[in-house]
Amino acid sequence: MFRAVASRAVPRAARPVTQSTFCAPSIYFQGRLRRGYASEAEEKDLVIIGGGVAGYVAAIKAGQSGLKVACIEKRGALGGTCLNVGCIPSKSLLNNSHLYHQILHDTKNRGIEVGDVKLNLGAMMKAKETSVSGLTKGIEFLFKKNNVEYIKGAGAFQDEHTVAVNLVEGGETTVRGKNILIATGSEATPFPGLTIDEKKVITSTGAIALEEVPKKLTVIGGGIIGLEMASVWSRLGSEVTVVEYLGQIGGPGMDKDVAKQAQKLLQKQGLKFKLNTKVVSGDADGEGVKVTVEAAKGGKEETLDADVCLVAIGRRPYTNGLGLENIGLEVDERGRLIIDQEYRTKIPHIRAIGDVTFGPMLAHKAEEESVAVVEYITKGYGHVNYGAIPSVMYTHPEVAWVGQNEQELAAANVKYNVGQFPFSANSRAKTNLDTEGFVKMLSDAETDRILGIHIIGPNAGEMIAEGVLALEYGASSEDVARTSHAHPTLSEAFKEAAMATYDKAVHY
Amino acid sequence: MGLAEGQASLAAQNFNMPALSPTMTEGNIATWKIKEGESFVAGDVLLEIETDKAQMDVEAQDDGVLAKILIGDGSKAIQVGARIAVTAEPGDDVSTLEIPPEENKPSKPEAPKEEAKSGSAPAPKKEGSAPAPKSGSKAPAGKAQKQTYPLYPSVQHLLKENGLPKEEADKIPASGPNGRLLKGDVLAYLGKINESAGSEVAARLKALSHLDLSNIKVMAQSPKAAPKTAAAPEPEAMEELGVEIALSISLQAVTEVQQRVQKSIGVFLPLSTFIARAAELANEDLPRSQVAKPSADDLFNAVLGLDKAAAKYSRGNFVPEVTALPPTTLRPRAPAKKPDVLDFLTGKKAAAPKAAVGGAAQVVGPLNVFSVSVPKGDERRGRVFLERVKSVLEAEPGRLVV
Repeated sequence: MFRAVASRAVPRAARPVTQSTFCAPSIYFQGRLRRGYASEAEEKDLVIIGGGVAGYVAAIKAGQSGLKVACIEKRGALGGTCLNVGCIPSKSLLNNSHLYHQILHDTKNRGIEVGDVKLNLGAMMKAKETSVSGLTKGIEFLFKKNNVEYIKGAGAFQDEHTVAVNLVEGGETTVRGKNILIATGSEATPFPGLTIDEKKVITSTGAIALEEVPKKLTVIGGGIIGLEMASVWSRLGSEVTVVEYLGQIGGPGMDKDVAKQAQKLLQKQGLKFKLNTKVVSGDADGEGVKVTVEAAKGGKEETLDADVCLVAIGRRPYTNGLGLENIGLEVDERGRLIIDQEYRTKIPHIRAIGDVTFGPMLAHKAEEESVAVVEYITKGYGHVNYGAIPSVMYTHPEVAWVGQNEQELAAANVKYNVGQFPFSANSRAKTNLDTEGFVKMLSDAETDRILGIHIIGPNAGEMIAEGVLALEYGASSEDVARTSHAHPTLSEAFKEAAMATYDKAVHY
Repeated sequence: MGLAEGQASLAAQNFNMPALSPTMTEGNIATWKIKEGESFVAGDVLLEIETDKAQMDVEAQDDGVLAKILIGDGSKAIQVGARIAVTAEPGDDVSTLEIPPEENKPSKPEAPKEEAKSGSAPAPKKEGSAPAPKSGSKAPAGKAQKQTYPLYPSVQHLLKENGLPKEEADKIPASGPNGRLLKGDVLAYLGKINESAGSEVAARLKALSHLDLSNIKVMAQSPKAAPKTAAAPEPEAMEELGVEIALSISLQAVTEVQQRVQKSIGVFLPLSTFIARAAELANEDLPRSQVAKPSADDLFNAVLGLDKAAAKYSRGNFVPEVTALPPTTLRPRAPAKKPDVLDFLTGKKAAAPKAAVGGAAQVVGPLNVFSVSVPKGDERRGRVFLERVKSVLEAEPGRLVV
């Protein structure tokens, strides 16, 4: 009996040691090896080329639906343009530059006196990087959690079912997929004659990584990206001039009243605008960057000198090196992969979503599509409502909208009601001393069904979610108006605009 | 639409001649059983109607007040759908009630009938669609269906305001997403707006809800050529004057192998073949270029510290230039500088090595200087390359012909 106890005691004491030093790593490696093996021999249910928002969401969704899925990404970090060099880092800079600007110019009125205010651009960039790396690593974690095989490399079609991957760490591999999803995204459209070096002539990518505040910044393109980056550097001290070919800022989707108001407010913050102006040529050879412009309808030329020139004239689909020619896939004249309503290319098991194909180049649009495309693959149906996709510009004040704007409704000969409510009549905005802007609602003249909602004002980007929900459910302005909104909140302005649309606002 | 104003008028409803059989197009009103101003409750007989076939009672569906009788007892040949009376909510003050106009008659086949909450008997209701052809041009908003979601606040309000019971919602053609009943549907049902208004908006929004894939113009057959040539000039413009790295290499071993080969199989392999094969080998897995133009993504990754994941090695494309010169060892023509962080950040591109495969013809002496041109900061890469060429050519040139 004594022996028995002793013999049992020994292995028990030893077991924990062997387990912790031997077992765990071996299990880990087994898993890795098996996965590595699988990628070459076994056919995946779904192979996704591109680990941006479209690709990674589809990968996770597919993993959750039980598909064997691999996602190929060459950047070395997941999340694509949005997470690495787009939406996310720019929002970090927008938020922090706004704080800086506010401390410089605005806190005194609020009874807060601050001593020496200094900008530490390096630290501001560091804060941005911390946000970004946290988020990209989060996706990698989600991949593991949902059994997505992550292949780091550049994928190219070998044939209709095989993707050759040039691995980032050297070497090559191939993956076969029953279904293949192209989600390679987009890149900034360069301006002819200006070579992008991301130092002097920059795209949005360089604009979030400048090492010092340029004295003068010329922005070509007064769309959302241009205006956001213009805001950041203007707040940090740049003298910014925005050149826009069209007669309004914000791009064609922005409601004309909102665009006018946004321009007024941004001008007040120090931005200069040249609308209806085209850029004739650019020259980055000398000290700074010279940009020659003239009135869009012809006029005398003018040269804008700046230290840095931001090219923000739009983005174009990115399919370089994808080997589309190997499988005969076609793009349209603007480089967009041609698809049908179920995102199928002419080879039905190869689909494309996100910026590389049609529709607005927005991360949340790509995200909707990635869920839908996985549903099409697994269930045969899916749905994205392209009529209810919001747009947000994160300037201050923010601009956000969903649905149609006034000029579009007028062009379509639709009769509509307009209700508008200014934040200057909203109690919360008043207490925040942040009262610029308004909520504008457009509803069908007869049925009162909401057709579009356009907000310029504090927190517009968050507030628009309610508008999207309203559109998604086919709500009337009365439905919104009869829904309780907490007091005192900015969202009351939303409700009051709804009241103004079908009846009358109370507080205005 | 006159209904829109005035609280008192909100509940007034047109009551139209019901169709009591599928074929009935007109009928006579025999007698009204309820007098003007009198209230009734659901189930009360409101009036007697006679057709050529029969005489029937019309019962009230709901409680209400008979506000006004417009077509009295004994009237003959009243068209189905014609307004015959106006009803109101129980308790409404009939004297102040505004009488709604009859404008819904031509366009409202079923709505006017059912909207009359005082309503006709179940039987007539079934035949309600009979007059539909009259308004054939107007599409109904959608199918009526059971509303399983909570009704929208506006819908609830309108139903209440117009004295319609909640169950009535299930009978109203719904144009909303997934058959949801919208404010516009109720307004149309009540005849307050054009009946097709709801479906028109729905159709418009439906069109907007899809990706516009019309008028796609396929890019011309050489789509890839355009972007490529457009992109090509960029890197070239970035090219920098390089530093030349040189190393003397003895070709004695190579010459020996060359002779052996010729003797054994009678094939003369030119020196350039050896050199090219050695270069090929040496180009493999070179230390990663320090100055290769990092893409914007690389840059950003570097800032994030994610570049460590990237490859440490990459294939080179060096082609050595061979000159027969007095022997020297390492002989950089420009002072070799440590890789400069600025160069790295400004993204200088690795200069494409000068072409010109080493002229084997120029090789006279056993010692030759092999040189490659590398961008500043990339000396190490070049040196590793040359040292490999050297070791292959001097130590085991036989490998090159196997």
